[in-house]
Amino acid sequence: MDSKRKMPFVWKILVLLLSMSFLIVGSVAAQDVAVGQATATVQTPLTVTATAALAFGTIFQGVPLSVAETNTAAGIFTMTGQAGAGISLFLQLPEYMSTASGDDRMVISFSTTDCAIDTTSNVDPTVAATGWTDQNPFSLPSGVIIGGTSTQTALFLGGQVRPSVDQTAGAYTADIILTVAYNGT
Amino acid sequence: MKKKNRIPISEKSHNSLWGFFVFLLMFAASVSQVTAGVLVAPSVIVLNDRSKTGRMNLQNPSNSPKEVSISFSYGIPESDSLGNVSIFLRDTAITYPNSSLGWIKAFPRKLIIPPNGSQVVRFIARPPKGLEDGEYWVRVVVESQEGITSIPTATDEEQITTKLNMIMRTAIMLKYRTGELIAALEIKGSELIVKDESVDVIVDFGNKGNVSYVGLFECRLLDADNKEISKNHIQLAVYRDLKRKVSLPIKAGNFKRPYSVAVSVTNKGRNDIPTNEMIFGNDLSTLLSLNE
Repeated sequence: MDSKRKMPFVWKILVLLLSMSFLIVGSVAAQDVAVGQATATVQTPLTVTATAALAFGTIFQGVPLSVAETNTAAGIFTMTGQAGAGISLFLQLPEYMSTASGDDRMVISFSTTDCAIDTTSNVDPTVAATGWTDQNPFSLPSGVIIGGTSTQTALFLGGQVRPSVDQTAGAYTADIILTVAYNGT
Repeated sequence: MKKKNRIPISEKSHNSLWGFFVFLLMFAASVSQVTAGVLVAPSVIVLNDRSKTGRMNLQNPSNSPKEVSISFSYGIPESDSLGNVSIFLRDTAITYPNSSLGWIKAFPRKLIIPPNGSQVVRFIARPPKGLEDGEYWVRVVVESQEGITSIPTATDEEQITTKLNMIMRTAIMLKYRTGELIAALEIKGSELIVKDESVDVIVDFGNKGNVSYVGLFECRLLDADNKEISKNHIQLAVYRDLKRKVSLPIKAGNFKRPYSVAVSVTNKGRNDIPTNEMIFGNDLSTLLSLNE
């Protein structure tokens, strides 16, 4: 009697699998809508994502702090799009970080080897990049493509902050801007 | 026959397992969207003298609002002597005759897209009178960042904390076409650079038409018997003059020297671009001898 009212475990699994299939179909349909409003044959949209901000943590007056592009605290941008398509990348990097009130600023710098680009699905900066390592963030390599199999490319960025001995305590901000464009359209 | 020993699953365990699967499903669905940026489609916008308006869809697949701004710059693929391609965006002092910077407008230009929301941005062209036949270009720069950002506070009065805003920009090409349109490409020169295990093929293209030539650039490394050693291709977009490089690996095998490289360019077969937006032109092919 009681067993008739309850759904058997096998049925529960089947319902779950069916729900998952609807979820996948829904996701695919959503991608169709995103890809193009009127036509079927359009290049996969280029999406740039700031996966992680370059994080220096807590800093002390007079003590410079560096974060390598291979460190877990490195900044990460990911680009997804048409597999194998050529892209152009351009980074705009700050020279200073400022307090919210603007009454003090702190030097931030980037060396000529502070960037790495990985054309696989890897978004872990600590894993050696398959693509370009020790790159100059002010002059990113040409010939970068969206990963052929992963349809993704990741950019890892390191940097250094140099607080002065009398640096005002508080929170400092700055902008890092990555511009991406397809170069084959 | 041996009887398999199975651990009996109690009713309570069934429910826990069921709950765990549901949790896993919801978690997988949400995690896939946590870090997504703003999705911009299509990747090329085409307007013309009959239809001076267009649209672009922006979608925020993440679970946080995104602040988006739209601006315009001029930037076409440019190359150095080695065929390395870059796009430099310029905002001021544009003297290029094919720039449409200044007469393409976008509405709206600043917006906040809610989590999992989308927004249409419309474009209108107001070209100057007496515009010559051809294609005019501008880059639509879509800049996005988190709509709500927080600056970390120092735990100690003497400490310094930092927050770097990671801003993402996608530069989409917008083409305005008017009058009779001609796509024509020529090969102005070529160079082969032989390395230890590869050959770099650098071809200097000249645009002889009045529109951008969009196509495919394919190279095949052949042996003396025309047996294919390797091949590679790239997507090509020639707005003015452009050098492009294709690298071909020299694979080991039973190949007869001397080698040659067959170069071909076509603007057919670009199935990533709608056919009605393609301006079809000439195909090119040439054979380059490899002097080792």
